Amino acid sequence: MDSGRRQRGGLEQEVIAVLAADGSAMTPGQVRAALGAELAYTTVMTVLARLCDKGVVTRRRAGRAFAYQAVVDEDEITARQMRRLLDARDDRAAVLTRFVGTLSADDERLLADLLRHTEQAGDRDDVR
Amino acid sequence: MSVAVAVTLAVSLLFAATAPTLGRRLPPAPATRVLVVGSLTVTASEIFVLAVVAFTWVGQLPDIAALGPWSTVALRRADPIPESAAVGAALLLPVLAAQLSWWIVRRCRALLAVQRSCRHLPHTDSLVVVDTDRLDVFTTPDRRGRIVVTTGLLRALAPAERRVVLAHETSHRDHRHPWWLLAAELAAAVNPLFTRTARTVAHTVERWADEDAATAVTDRRLAARTLARTALLMHQRSTRAPEGALGVLTADVPTRVQALLAPPPRRQPAVVGLLVTLALTCIFGAAAVQRSGERLFEHASTPTYTVKG
Repeated sequence: MDSGRRQRGGLEQEVIAVLAADGSAMTPGQVRAALGAELAYTTVMTVLARLCDKGVVTRRRAGRAFAYQAVVDEDEITARQMRRLLDARDDRAAVLTRFVGTLSADDERLLADLLRHTEQAGDRDDVR
Repeated sequence: MSVAVAVTLAVSLLFAATAPTLGRRLPPAPATRVLVVGSLTVTASEIFVLAVVAFTWVGQLPDIAALGPWSTVALRRADPIPESAAVGAALLLPVLAAQLSWWIVRRCRALLAVQRSCRHLPHTDSLVVVDTDRLDVFTTPDRRGRIVVTTGLLRALAPAERRVVLAHETSHRDHRHPWWLLAAELAAAVNPLFTRTARTVAHTVERWADEDAATAVTDRRLAARTLARTALLMHQRSTRAPEGALGVLTADVPTRVQALLAPPPRRQPAVVGLLVTLALTCIFGAAAVQRSGERLFEHASTPTYTVKG
């Protein structure tokens, strides 16, 4: 375990995110590197095997190891329904909890300042 | 009876006026709970008191009085509530009921639409990834609570940042945040004075998920940076016009970033205690109104009724 307490299914989500972001098939070693966290190789293997059982991820032989790939749902209906959720406005959007809402011009300026500030502070810490 | 009515309504106004400001000073999880439960109980007490007040007048209408054992004359003489106030309450109640029904219809329709959209998804509790360049991530309020994220956003984020975003949405899902929000909006739908409280709850719910995400990655500054960067990225690439919906309830992002850059919020038992006391006072007030209302009607039903000084 690298750091912090993981939430239920947290690592599974991260692995799916890595595979989905990449799009191509990845070996457990590549997945582990892409997770960017100090995880044991066997931990990553276990999660990949579990995801495979669930049918969220497929695997095929690549040399001596297996390569894993996120299953892309190519069903037209699912795609259309998901797009409807992304486009949801007003009432439908109100029942979804979004990561961030809309920003005003002031918010945008303030956030850019805050970001610059934290990055500078981070650099100073790194030098120390 | 008039005193109990006045106290209940005054305390409920005091709760609605102070809850948003006090709620923002609390850590987000207790803030959400106390604001939502508080505004629901205060609203319920208000409605109850209004109903009792209204009935002291409705009970005097001949058709209604004929159904009960009380005398309209005795009731009118003993009724301490001014007629105008009672008539006002009787007229206000159907308006509030209509507002509430309209809100329920709209929200149920929205929830059903989301439910329909999620019906075709595979039956796993894993992440739902939508393959599109758009940047978006949200949690649905259906039974399972799905976390939907676009490949566009996943690609735009570094691995550590992805963990922050996913931990944030997982907190929404595990703590059923959409339902806390709906409950806060329900109180505001009945009583518009709670609109500001509902807006505060939209903020505390996001702060709750932010704090959980910061705990999950054990790095508050990483959480703050991710939030700021994601918000800016989404804003710059967004095609949507500033909208209503969560727009009305939009949690303000710079405040959230600043809160993550500050140390974790400290517990404030005194503030929680104050809000709980106000809400309890409303419940006791409503109970007192109910008791004296009952006594009033019993009194008006007694045949040996004499006028007291």
